Amino acid sequence: MKQGELGKVYVDREIIFKEGSQGDSMFVIQSGKVKITKKTEKEEDLTIAVLGTGEIFGEMALFDKQTRSANAIAMGEARILSIDKKKLFSSISRDPTLVFKMLESMSRRIRKLNDDLTQFKKNKFDVLHACVNLEDTCTLILEEARNLISADNGSVMLLDDKGETLSIKSAFGKKSDSHLQLSVGEGIAGDVLNSGRAELVNNVSMDQRYKAGTAHIKSMICIPLKCNDKNIGVMNMSNNTDRLFTLEDLKVLNALSFYASVAIENARNFSALHDASEQVLRHATLLDM
Amino acid sequence: MNNSREGNSQLALDDGAHIAVIGGGPTGTFFSIFALHMARMIGKELNITIYEPKDFTKDGPGGCNRCGGIISELLVQTLAVEGINLPDSVVQKGIHSYKLHTEQGSVSIATPALEKTIATVYRGGGPKGKVSPDIASFDNFLLEQAVREGAVRKPVRIDRIVLKNTKPVLYAKDAEIQEADLVVGACGINSTAPKIFEQMGFGYTEPEKITAAIAEIGLDEKVIADCFGSSINLFLLPDRNIKFAAMIPKGTYVTLCILGKKVTARTMKDFLNNPVTKAVLPDTMPYEIHCSCLPKMNIRAPKKPFTDRVVMCGDAGSTRLFKDGLGAAYLMGKAAAKTAVFDGVGADEFRANYYPVYKSIIYDNYFGAMLYFVIDIYRKWKYLTKAMIHVVDKEQQSSRDEKILSAMLWDMFTGNERYKNVFMKSLKIRMHADMWEGLFKGLVRGKNETG
Repeated sequence: MKQGELGKVYVDREIIFKEGSQGDSMFVIQSGKVKITKKTEKEEDLTIAVLGTGEIFGEMALFDKQTRSANAIAMGEARILSIDKKKLFSSISRDPTLVFKMLESMSRRIRKLNDDLTQFKKNKFDVLHACVNLEDTCTLILEEARNLISADNGSVMLLDDKGETLSIKSAFGKKSDSHLQLSVGEGIAGDVLNSGRAELVNNVSMDQRYKAGTAHIKSMICIPLKCNDKNIGVMNMSNNTDRLFTLEDLKVLNALSFYASVAIENARNFSALHDASEQVLRHATLLDM
Repeated sequence: MNNSREGNSQLALDDGAHIAVIGGGPTGTFFSIFALHMARMIGKELNITIYEPKDFTKDGPGGCNRCGGIISELLVQTLAVEGINLPDSVVQKGIHSYKLHTEQGSVSIATPALEKTIATVYRGGGPKGKVSPDIASFDNFLLEQAVREGAVRKPVRIDRIVLKNTKPVLYAKDAEIQEADLVVGACGINSTAPKIFEQMGFGYTEPEKITAAIAEIGLDEKVIADCFGSSINLFLLPDRNIKFAAMIPKGTYVTLCILGKKVTARTMKDFLNNPVTKAVLPDTMPYEIHCSCLPKMNIRAPKKPFTDRVVMCGDAGSTRLFKDGLGAAYLMGKAAAKTAVFDGVGADEFRANYYPVYKSIIYDNYFGAMLYFVIDIYRKWKYLTKAMIHVVDKEQQSSRDEKILSAMLWDMFTGNERYKNVFMKSLKIRMHADMWEGLFKGLVRGKNETG
């Protein structure tokens, strides 16, 4: 810290205040950056904002008298000037125009929140749209699975209407074979569909059930997708490299499979309903003629 | 001041109105920044011209507005809330503590967590003959902020203002410069500019003044770091001519400020030769006075600081007694801007909206005068000085949250709190009990020493 600098220096990742703590001051960044984070339900830190020089933070707890709504953490070295609540309110009581700048800053943040909310709603609409289309739903399920575990390849295979053949509805990975079809009981995926039990296979080439496709894989997780006690398909995640899957990966994907199955069934039902209503509409139009 | 109607009612600033600000120091620039910002908020554009002949980037008296250059904790924080963050080049040193020196000992008073909350600055380009890229003028920084907000700066010395058709007209060297809808007198008291407003004949008279002494002492940076650290050194000595003195570290200089009766250049020499001062300064290292001046300080505000379309602010109006002149410049500049933009520029509007703020400083200074009177007694009578040092020392060692005397001295000498609030703190019984204990111990010790 140079001699001419005001405030207090926080080192990289030092916590300035914690979510849930009492707030008796607000802060102005003199130099450096501060990350505002919030804990999600899964206890993960979600970054809400990154603030820079001259920006104010921590003012919410002063005005709404609640505890701190988020964490403030230094990103690199940051120099922060604290502003005492008592003195600030005393100054505001004498000169209410002192809040003009704070209101401007809060308005800017509300505007940004509005923009973020609009974007969020748009994304939500995209998700809803995906949920009425079977292929899009399968793609979304794979995206979620990739967010949860690391894998080189993945696919969602669903059983056809006759209940005889598994075919790929969505896949990722460089060498994914989108035309692969398996009979019930064929290959590891067909066997998992038959047994209804999730499997982790870390040495695929040694597994006699393995049916080589275009991609040469070394390890895989195969999870059955069930609906109303009926097996409707499987979700595969695999690695081409020596990276191995863990039991934790298996548990996480197993948990996801429940929601994935519901989403697939909903998409199928919506599709059937859509087809039926189209048919009714067509008949009605023919009668009018 | 009588309350009868004096001028035109509801004189308001229209969109595109012209304002002339006489003086580009903090009062004038604060006025300009806030007036332009507030007017824009209500959809008005103002044309503000700041008349300032000084170039604040110049070293020595040519660029300096002559003051100690301390920005109080409260003002630093208030400016930060206002979005005016002081750059590192302007802040010569961040201060986290005060060291109080007396003939009876020294004691240190620090901020919680040693956060550097007070700024020391140069008003101009720094001490004479020492222009440095590390020194940026505080006044120039604010002036640039005002220009960024939309004010125009003209390096012109206004020498006459005449009312023509109820509007003030500005002259320089007998040439008409501008007709204004409002003239703001933010000229300080260390120039001839206040006389221009006296000559306007609306009843304004220059404030009552005393002389202070300011000097820039050049020292090695490491020596300053070792001897002063991040502390302002305050001296309360029994010398009858020195009310108090302060040594303010700034990079490779220490600014010496002396306030008191009959302060002269000789007072500075006597102070530097005082054993208490010598104990603070390095033993072996020579020091050199690079720049010194004897500026005037406002100690009593004029009674008539406004008329229709004219308002006096800052040192030329009312300011805080002995301390925090920059804080007062902010208060008065902003109060004048609020009145002009939201209420109007007539005498009645200034009386109703600006004058209460003006008077609140005068009123607060009465408490200040009382406090300085008490401090005078304490510094002159050694047993009381001892008791004061004893109590502050005890408070600083204690884990107790309430450090009454420390907080009082901190707030008083940093200008962090109104004098009235400091005075109210002085009524707390606990502090008096501690003082009596300190006094008693001091008397007993003194008796033992003499016995």
